[in-house]
Amino acid sequence: MMIKRPNRLPKNSLSPALLIINCVLLFIVFVIMFVPMLYVLALSFSTNLGSMSSGIRLWPDKFTVIGYIEVWNRVQLWRPFFNSVFVTTVGILIEIFLSAMSAYVLIQKELPFKKMMTSIILITMMIPGNLTLISTYYLNKQIGLLNTYTGLILNGLISGFSILVIRGYFLSVPDSLAESARIDSAGEVTVFMRIYLPLSIPGIVTVAFLEFVDKWNSLMIPVSITTDQNKFTLPVILRSLVFNDSGESGMNYITPNVIMAAIVISVVPLIAFYVFSQRFLKTGMNLGAVKG
Amino acid sequence: MWKQVRKYRAIYFMMIPVLLYFIVFSYYPLGLGVVQSLQTDVLIGTPEFAGVRNYVALFGDPQFWEAFGNSLIMGIGTQALVIPLALLFALGLNEISNRFIKSAIQTTSYLPNLFSWTVVGGMWITILSTNGLVNGFTSIFGANSVQFMAERNLAQFIMILTASWKALGYYALLFLAAIISIDTSVFEAAQIDGASRLRQLFSISVPALYPTLKIVVLLGVMGLLRNFDQVFVMENSMILDKVNTLLLYIYTNGITHFRVGLATAAATIVLIATLLITFVVRKLIRYDESY
Repeated sequence: MMIKRPNRLPKNSLSPALLIINCVLLFIVFVIMFVPMLYVLALSFSTNLGSMSSGIRLWPDKFTVIGYIEVWNRVQLWRPFFNSVFVTTVGILIEIFLSAMSAYVLIQKELPFKKMMTSIILITMMIPGNLTLISTYYLNKQIGLLNTYTGLILNGLISGFSILVIRGYFLSVPDSLAESARIDSAGEVTVFMRIYLPLSIPGIVTVAFLEFVDKWNSLMIPVSITTDQNKFTLPVILRSLVFNDSGESGMNYITPNVIMAAIVISVVPLIAFYVFSQRFLKTGMNLGAVKG
Repeated sequence: MWKQVRKYRAIYFMMIPVLLYFIVFSYYPLGLGVVQSLQTDVLIGTPEFAGVRNYVALFGDPQFWEAFGNSLIMGIGTQALVIPLALLFALGLNEISNRFIKSAIQTTSYLPNLFSWTVVGGMWITILSTNGLVNGFTSIFGANSVQFMAERNLAQFIMILTASWKALGYYALLFLAAIISIDTSVFEAAQIDGASRLRQLFSISVPALYPTLKIVVLLGVMGLLRNFDQVFVMENSMILDKVNTLLLYIYTNGITHFRVGLATAAATIVLIATLLITFVVRKLIRYDESY
């Protein structure tokens, strides 16, 4: 039975004056965050000439997809786009599977050498990956990974962070489930595949999303280990499109609507995955806090 | 014990791929980098032991110190701007009771954090160009158009502003999550005692955010000397010496000019500097002390 409070407290909120100030400030923040993105979208749907004219234009001068057609065909963005899709998808699938496997190892009780294996993983999180760029380049050269898809997938494939997060989700799976399966003579592989993996789907989607963002946006390693245009990923080609050394000539000048179209194309998969994983992210997003 | 090991045979097999990966792609490059920093540069043949010659050359290179300074200025500048802003932003956003407006603002501000620097950099290069949005805005007030990306005096400031634009929503999200987890009965008690809402914010919410604040500061410090993507996309020959960072210095020397010894020596120094700064900041903010 509900007991009603005799005297309800008045609504606990800011005074009206402060509320208005708060709303105005938040509106300004919203405009500063939103307008640049709207501007990109508007320019990408403008005509070549319209995108070059000056002024505040938050709406296309004449709605057209010419920028998208040009960037897809003339700049041939389709190739880096599918390179990125391929490298990222394969990378995520392998990473999640291997990370989950090692996370399963790390939740075993009374496993000899468990501490040692955990510290091997923890230490890699302290090594700032991009500081080893030069020696990583030579490693790739030594084992013949320059200009290969294998190289693009393998570099930065696994992060200690995702192993630890998946391990956290595995720990919340009740022991009794695994025990009863073992009594029914299920092997370790079955317990892992049939019990732990399915029960940790929300955690795995969260990790997959965070790793997707990392892999999709990766610039430093791809730009160092690829010189073959056919192997360029999206960030590499985008960088050469937007890189502005103020010496551009009239010949190969690429109009802003084309560049903005390339930008929109490259963020669509990110936003799509973000929307898809939103329902899983409610619990998972805080985990991003400890990513080092 | 070996009996145990035998019992868990199948389990150890599951660990092999990951351990192998880390040995090859994390530990080996780390060791190789230190070895390379002690060797001479050769294009063909075997390099020779060079002692500390690369380090001497590095410390004598004014560009290295310039890059060091730039990294510190832009890194600290960004953190100093974005952390207080994100904190206020999160506090303000929490006061909005309309669910839809709240999540619209939050999602919009979080999106740039998902974008790569090629996207955010390209976006701002266009916005700051002579025909861009900012010049369109200032021309209303009769100002002459400025090529912002070529302004040497503004270069570092632009990098700090754009980096803050990208990170604001993410940091605010971290603070917001911590604010939501505060026990509401604390606020009620304060209200009964007659504390205004503003007073509650600064006497309850802000102190409750200290642990999150520590994590955010520490993350910022660890990334301080690692700025690459942003300047790699947004630099141009006019402003390069103003925005050249340590990692861009390492990349240019090592990958573009094949000065491997110099580049790996710089990487080793930056690694040590990062560990040192992280250690000092950990002590300063008393990160390891429990609350």
